[in-house]
Amino acid sequence: METFDALGQGLLIALQPSNLLFAFIGVMLGTAVGVLPGIGPALTVALLLPITFKLDPAGSLIMFAGIYYGGMYGGSTASILLNTPGESSSIVTALEGNKMARAGRGGPALATAAIGSFVAGTIATIGLALVAPTVVDIAISFGPEDYFALMVLAFTTVSAAFGSSVTRGLVSLFLGLTLGLIGIDLQSGQARISFGIPDLLDGVEVTTLAVALFAIGETLSVAAAGNRAEEVIEPVRGSVFMSKEDWKRSWFPWLRGTALGFPIGAMPAGGAEIPTFLSYALEKRLCKKPEEFGNGAIEGVAGPEAANNAAAAGVLVPLLTLGLPTSATAAIMLAGFQQYGLNPGPLLFTTNPDLVWGLIASLFIANGMLLVLNLPLVGLWVRLLAIPRPWLYGGILVFATLGTLGANPSLVELGMLVVFGLLGYVLRRYNYPIAPVVVGLILGPLSEQQLRRALAISVGDPMVLFQSPIALTLYALSILALLGPMLFTLITGRRAPVGGDED
Amino acid sequence: MSDPAQPPSRPTPDKAGFVIALGLAVLAVVVGLDAWRLSAMPSYSAVGPAAFPAIIAGGLGILAIATAIEALKGAEEERPHDEVKPILWVLGGLLGQIALLPFAGFSIATGWLFAATVKGFGRGPVWAHFLAGAVISFVIYVIFAKGLQLSLPAGPIERLI
Amino acid sequence: MSNMIRGTLLGMTLALAVPLGAAQAQVNELKIMAPAAPGGGWDQTARSMQHALQTEKIVGNVQVMNVPGAGGTIGIAQFVNSSKGDPNALMVSGYVMVGAIITNKSPVDLSQVTPLARLTGEYEALVVPTSSPLKTMDDFVKVLKADPAKVSWAGGSAGGTDHITAGLIVKALGIEPSKLNYIAFSGGGESLASILGGKVTVGLNGLSEVEPQAKAGKLRILGVSSAQRLPGIDAPTFKEAGVDVEVQNWRMVAAAPGISAEQKKALLDVVEKMAKSATWQDTLKTKGWADTYLAGPEFEKQLAADIANTKVVLKDIGLTQ
Repeated sequence: METFDALGQGLLIALQPSNLLFAFIGVMLGTAVGVLPGIGPALTVALLLPITFKLDPAGSLIMFAGIYYGGMYGGSTASILLNTPGESSSIVTALEGNKMARAGRGGPALATAAIGSFVAGTIATIGLALVAPTVVDIAISFGPEDYFALMVLAFTTVSAAFGSSVTRGLVSLFLGLTLGLIGIDLQSGQARISFGIPDLLDGVEVTTLAVALFAIGETLSVAAAGNRAEEVIEPVRGSVFMSKEDWKRSWFPWLRGTALGFPIGAMPAGGAEIPTFLSYALEKRLCKKPEEFGNGAIEGVAGPEAANNAAAAGVLVPLLTLGLPTSATAAIMLAGFQQYGLNPGPLLFTTNPDLVWGLIASLFIANGMLLVLNLPLVGLWVRLLAIPRPWLYGGILVFATLGTLGANPSLVELGMLVVFGLLGYVLRRYNYPIAPVVVGLILGPLSEQQLRRALAISVGDPMVLFQSPIALTLYALSILALLGPMLFTLITGRRAPVGGDED
Repeated sequence: MSDPAQPPSRPTPDKAGFVIALGLAVLAVVVGLDAWRLSAMPSYSAVGPAAFPAIIAGGLGILAIATAIEALKGAEEERPHDEVKPILWVLGGLLGQIALLPFAGFSIATGWLFAATVKGFGRGPVWAHFLAGAVISFVIYVIFAKGLQLSLPAGPIERLI
Repeated sequence: MSNMIRGTLLGMTLALAVPLGAAQAQVNELKIMAPAAPGGGWDQTARSMQHALQTEKIVGNVQVMNVPGAGGTIGIAQFVNSSKGDPNALMVSGYVMVGAIITNKSPVDLSQVTPLARLTGEYEALVVPTSSPLKTMDDFVKVLKADPAKVSWAGGSAGGTDHITAGLIVKALGIEPSKLNYIAFSGGGESLASILGGKVTVGLNGLSEVEPQAKAGKLRILGVSSAQRLPGIDAPTFKEAGVDVEVQNWRMVAAAPGISAEQKKALLDVVEKMAKSATWQDTLKTKGWADTYLAGPEFEKQLAADIANTKVVLKDIGLTQ
């Protein structure tokens, strides 16, 4: 009961007109920067910190909450409409979302993303308010060996995104893994595959690779097709709203995405990308129309979008309960707290309850406000696709380079954009799937670091990998994910509906 | 890189497939050499920085062989002819932007990118699109510099404000 | 790595502040480079400087420029190449850059810029979870000496301040530095989580990161890398506990190479005015940054010593040849 009283108090603070205005400014700003690849909520909040210094703590934290959730919305809008993932956690959304948009179903895709984000954000924020202390205990108990097992699970399940040929999928994945090697090795401090170029020492930025492969690669292949691809994109085919069937197909993915996103987001090294991979793979397995995956399946938008928003709320769990910033945005939020002389730590809930509950309440407000603002705009957004093709693609390239330059005004970074864009074109031309490259870049370094941490702690004893019950459970799930389709075939005598090429 | 359309009466080896296989093999060698260089350094941890690169190099090598074998079986489908000119326009736009940025500034460089890309999609005139692109880019520059305190590369136009 | 007592510091800087002639060129505008992405420590330092300089009307027009990458070595290379002789250019830097320059084999190093002053700094803390059997620094030293490889240390990236501190501790105890079992994490949050979860034996972190955890009874601070005991911190210094190690993770401001002595003096004057201003002092307080201001030849001596020591440690722990 106490919790609800506190939350009610928080809501009262957040609902004051001036704070509503801050929330509004925040969500608008967040959406705007979320759309730009490379520039995300973390950067925006960082740049605004000195400006908001004069505001009162509640107002500016409410604005930051708006920017945080707004960034997620903006990221998915750009992914779906322009195929330029604004944030690394909305890369998966682009896979099915952009296909839907090109088929004239951009309206339902944006709607399922918006409503899914709202549902996930709301449930996860409730989770944050009610079970944060319990969740954080479990999250902290994850050791490097458990994270490694989680990565193994992610690797085995994302093979669902590999497309028709195993060799081709693996080639793409290994290209991503190779790119992941570039830069300074965290454990030993040695530079790998950097050829003495200082700009490569920090490795390949995930958003740079994703934007280059998706947006620039596609621009090149559409341009190369010339007159051959003269079909006009019809921005709206059918309704801009979600049909009854769309609702039916979105509902469970939203909930499953939330269930994956919140706990993994709460883990100190979980992040927001892995739950989107897992959600995509899970929805592909469970979908009744698996053949639609790759051609614009609404489940492939609904699930990952819910997962990434739930993860965004999950990240606040260790921040608010333990004072541990586990993502760039959380680190900046921490700086925001410190600006007002607050030290988030295990005692924050007891020493500054009004502020914490005010923040949680403003997350609810920001979430609701985004839904109210975005749903009516869906019809307007999809009209973007009606822009004549030369201008649309010209605009996409301006956009892609602007985001990259804004985050890091380096010519080498722009050069990488061009090189990876060409790679994207070549992959498309010869039928290699794009997504596994990005997956390899994200998961490769994570899994390597966790494995090496685990082995260093155990002083080289590999048995440490198989001693924790969490890790064993995750390995069991991985084996199930790999062998599940085969068992299905054995038992029923017919081919599994998905993953048919994995024989 | 486009093969002339041939009726697949007998499987003709896929040339593009061989080129890709060769590319993978080269990549395997590069990664492998780097791993070898790293392994020569004294390392104090159980698994050093060279272990993963070595595994990945091995994987790339196997995939190069697999790709070559698939290429031997012949191209699986006919690839439509791609036009080179539009690609060159778009690439010229991107590379031109990189070349122009350091001295001409964000607006002019990005105006060129826009104009060249539009031209690549078959619409001119380049100068009109350049002007339009540069004006829009200038507005973006002002928003970034004034609103977000983030400095994009400045040139003669940007220094006016 | 000496520490400045407030009194001597004040006396020294007063002696340094040579009265400026009327003909002295006024600094009207400044470009401060933060060799990092927006949001990090160096960026916050640069933007706080901008705020203080403009609020106090010391310099009218101050701009901050971010050049992120490779521990600041990309920023310093650009600074040295493009700002040579520019009396209006400043760059924020820090101890982390000293290590990054060495491990990244950067062709440009701090001897090529004109160091002005140290602005702020933070000490390192050696921590264990409250449930750990290690109660004091002595307990820890005993366990470490028994089998150094079995003791796992959590901290930031390899070659960073945490890693260097760990190397210095091991070395001071006469243990073979190559036996150091250091586990690098990509951020303070991740490394703290592994310490709280009891996954590693000990952790090294910036003091401000562990302080709230210690106050809440989740972590125990075994030792701190300062020269004197710090007020409000219930832990001995490493030196008190018999480990001869002192580390300060400082941040500094430097001017461009090739400026004249007068131009340097003018900039030193500006930086000192700023460091003494109420706005800057307020910023230090709200951000929890310690005032370790040190300027002029004293600072240059300190910097040279830090660079020399770091080179040796990084070699000892096997990061460089």
